[in-house]
Formats: sequence, C-alpha cells, structure tokens
Amino acid sequence: MADSEIAAGDIVETVPSALIILDQNLIIKSANRAFYQTFRTSPQETEGSLIYNLGNRQWDIPALRNLLESVIPHRASVEGFEVEHDFPTIGRRTMLVNARKILRGGDHDGYILLAIEDVSEERAARAESRRNWQLTQSIVDTIRDPLVVLEGDMTIVTASKAFLKMFGITEAETRGRRVAELGQHQWDVPALRHLMEKVLPENKPIESFEIEDNFPGLGLRVFNLNARKISQPGNHAHRMLLVFEDITDRKQRERDALVLTNEISHRIKNNLQIVVGLIAYEAKFTEASCVQGYKAMQARIGAIAQLYDLISQSSLGRTVAVDAYLREIAKVMSASLIGDASGIKIEVNAEALEIDPDHAVPFGLLVNELATNAIKHAFPHGDGHITLSAEQIGDEIELVVADDGIGIQEKVVTRIAQKRGSDYVAIFVRQLGGTILPAPPDERGTIVRIRLPLLLVSSGGATPLAA
Amino acid sequence: MAIILVVEDDALIRMVAEMMIQDWGHETLSASDEDEALAILRSSQRIDALFTDIYLKASVLGGCNLASQAIALRPQLRVLYTTGNSPTEKMTALFVAGAHCLGKPYTQQQLQDSVAEMLAT
Repeated sequence: MADSEIAAGDIVETVPSALIILDQNLIIKSANRAFYQTFRTSPQETEGSLIYNLGNRQWDIPALRNLLESVIPHRASVEGFEVEHDFPTIGRRTMLVNARKILRGGDHDGYILLAIEDVSEERAARAESRRNWQLTQSIVDTIRDPLVVLEGDMTIVTASKAFLKMFGITEAETRGRRVAELGQHQWDVPALRHLMEKVLPENKPIESFEIEDNFPGLGLRVFNLNARKISQPGNHAHRMLLVFEDITDRKQRERDALVLTNEISHRIKNNLQIVVGLIAYEAKFTEASCVQGYKAMQARIGAIAQLYDLISQSSLGRTVAVDAYLREIAKVMSASLIGDASGIKIEVNAEALEIDPDHAVPFGLLVNELATNAIKHAFPHGDGHITLSAEQIGDEIELVVADDGIGIQEKVVTRIAQKRGSDYVAIFVRQLGGTILPAPPDERGTIVRIRLPLLLVSSGGATPLAA
Repeated sequence: MAIILVVEDDALIRMVAEMMIQDWGHETLSASDEDEALAILRSSQRIDALFTDIYLKASVLGGCNLASQAIALRPQLRVLYTTGNSPTEKMTALFVAGAHCLGKPYTQQQLQDSVAEMLAT
C-alpha cells in the first residue's frame, strides 16, 4: 500500500461517520470501525459481501438500491440521501447517506465511498419536538383567554384560536410580527414595551397590566395583560407567554358599584347636611346657654359623616385597618383645628391591626370623643400634642389617647361639659365591651387607656381596607 | 360684605346654607343647577364668590364644570366647592386654581371659616 493509502486509512478509521467502500459490483471492499460499531457487524461478515446481502439481506433496501443503481452511475456524488429502514439487529433507523465515486488512475470503474450518518436520534427529537409543539398548540387553543407565544425578539411564534377570533386576524397575519404592530397599534404602549423587555432577561413576569382602548370590531375594551417566561428543558431558547384577559365586564361592574357608592354617599351626606343645618337653624332661636350642646351635636354628626367613607366600605365584608383608620381620624381632626387650637398636633402610633367593620363606628366615635376632649380642655394656650395609639396586648386592643396638656385635675372647663364628654366615652366603651384602665399617677397631661376585647380580626382572613 | 352665588340642587340644603351665609352679613344669590347658575353669571349682577355643590342633579361633576365656565366668564371670581363624596384625584384635577373644598356635612362654623378663607385669598 502506498503511504497515501495508509494515511487515508487512518483518517477513515477516525471519522465518526460510518464509511464503506464498494467496488463497481457493489461488493464491499472495506468498512471503518464506526460502521462496524453502528451496525453491529464485523469485517469477516462484511468484506467481500454484496452490500444487499449483508446481515441476512437487511441492507437490501429499495431506497439504497435506487441510490446505488440509478443515481450514482450518473453523478459523481450524492449528498444527504435519506434512508429510513427497520434493521433486524438495531431497529428502526434513519440514515443520511453521502456517496462519492472514487476513480483512480487507469481504473475506469473505480469505487464508491458511502458515508452513512445515523440521524435517527436527531429525527426522533425533531418528531418529539413537533409532537410537543402540537400538544402545546392544542393546549393553547383550549384556553379561553386569548394568548400569544413570543420569541425573544418579541415576534409572535403562535397565537391561540381565541386570540385570532377576538382580534379578527389570521394566524399568518400574526406570525413573525410584534404585538405592538397588531391592529391599530393599541398594544404599542411604552410602559408595556418596557415591562415586556424585562420578562425574558430578568425573568420578571408581568402581572395585570391594564390597557383600555377602542379595538376594531370589539369597541371599548379593557384587557389585563399577564406575561411570563416559558422554558423548555434542554433548550436554551426562551419564549414568552402573553395572556390577554378581557376584564371589560368586571371593570364595568366595578365602575357601576363606584357610581352607586358615590350616589349613596351623596344622599347620606346631603341628609346629614340637612340635619346639621336644621340644628344650626334651631340654635339661632335657642338660649345662649344651650348653644354649646347644639354645637356638640353637630360635631358628632360631623364625626360620623367623616368616618362614613371608611365605614361604608365595610359593606364589602372587609376588615378595617386600625392604623390607617386612626391616621384618617387624626387627619380629619387636624384639618378642623383652626384659630386658637391651630397649634395642636395630633399624632398616630399604631400597630397594623384589623378590626371588625361592625365595631368601626363606636371605635371611631370613641377616639373622636377622647381626642375632642383633649383639644377642648388640655391646651388652654392652644398648643400641644395628642397621640392616638393602638397596640395588641394578648387578644385585646389597647387604645391610648394621650396629651401633654394641663392634666385632668387642673382643667378650667365647666364640669358639666366634661361630664357629658366622659359619658359618651363610657357609652362607647360599654358598647365595645371594653374597660377603662386607671390613669397612671404623676403623669404629665392626660392619658386614657382603654382595653377592647373581641375587636381583633385575625389578619389574612379578610382584605383590610386602605384608609 | 360679599355677594355669594350658592348652587345646590337640594332646596333645603341650599336654604340652610344661604341662611348661614347671610348670618354673617353676606348677600346670597341662589341656583339649583348649572344652567340657572350660568344665567346669573352671564348677567351684570355683581358676584364675589361661587359656592357650589359638585354633584348637581344628574351631573356627577356638574359643580366642577360650572366653576370652570364661571371662571372663564369672571376670572376674578372666588370658588368654594362642597361635596358629600371623598374628593377623588379626578375631581380635584378639575378644580379651578386657588379653589377650596368643604366636605358635607359642614357646620355653620366650618362654612363660616371656609367662606372667610375663600374671601381672604
């Protein structure tokens, strides 16, 4: 053998593809190691055999016959000829055959080199991928909410039937296009684009991004958009699932409820305004000594009305967040501090506790009464601090209304007015089933501590109201 | 002493409000809706301030619309709104510059303070 043949033999032995060399009569002259390993045969069984007779004629494949007898004689080479066959020894295989005629000097018939690549696994994976895709598509099509699957570059890979139906477009019109380009560019919203760009690189899903627009053929619609990254095991390419939830009806119901709430609030407040106005009218013709009582009555009606907006939401079956509620009361009371009382600051120091909405009215009125007493009596010089606190002690709430004023002993107010205020405190505490704790001695100002059981609602049960 | 146009769709509330305002020596003009109020605003009648409910009959933000039109007619007019609803951002965005808002129910004292504050600005 010439040196060049030895070198060629080494190459033939080391290439991963199965190689065989046939003479012009299709007799196997030689094969490489890869061939023997792939097809589980040996040189003894192979060399000198007609290729079709190899391994109990398992290579007698019509497609191969066609290649060798009809195609090769007319062409110098053939590439990518696919042969699928059920081999008794190794099972069903798909092979990619490359064939080349080798002509050597003085030898006109020459040889045929066949390079056989087993692509069965690749083909099976492709078929599996196709089946997976069909499965995905069928799942996609059964989901009622319209959805699309996007590539990393935001172009649409597939759109569900619900999506196509809702937006009146064909699959061909969506494929390869960006969501922002669809329809009349309703989805071309900078904020949405910004969020979508983060879904894949940062694995940051989009939760409930709301878009309201006029959609052709649909009219005014509100959609909630949700998006998340979808990954296939073993596949590095990630895609995004973008779901369009039509919340138009829900939105409308919410708006109707809001209109109704506003309407009811308007009527209730108007009625309370009439009551307050009539009291004001009566006060005009009342002896001066009684006017204070009329004014106090107006203030309490005002307090109920001011708490109404918070309390009215309790009809939704939610709890009332004590900290937010106290802040709201403080805000409303602070806003009413004018003239001589404008130097009084009302602060809130409360834990995040939730109370039953049924108790919110007496609780709010109790706080209002205590704080009003402090405003009226604790600060003859018109400045000071009032602190509204609430903390959980065991299964009770301790409400503390404290001021740094002149203290209860030195009050210069009339006993009667004070007594009435305290009566109201006692009434509300009794209504709430609570107890007033004795005031600690030698404290500066006035501190009222009240323990209120049975008010707490365990958090997590109901949705707290944001005040 | 000022002349204040009181716009309120509830006759009883309007009457009491006018009574309260008159108590402090001011004069009042009254209207129950936007059209009546605009007719007065378009006249040559002297008017220093507008005190209007926001929710006027069928119009949820009727008082806001009215005040905007009123300011277009009389740029010097002071405005005080009143409403039984919690003022929303949508609502306050429609307020004319420098306007005040008084929640219902208001006491005579609260109305007096708000009117005094409005007239002082």
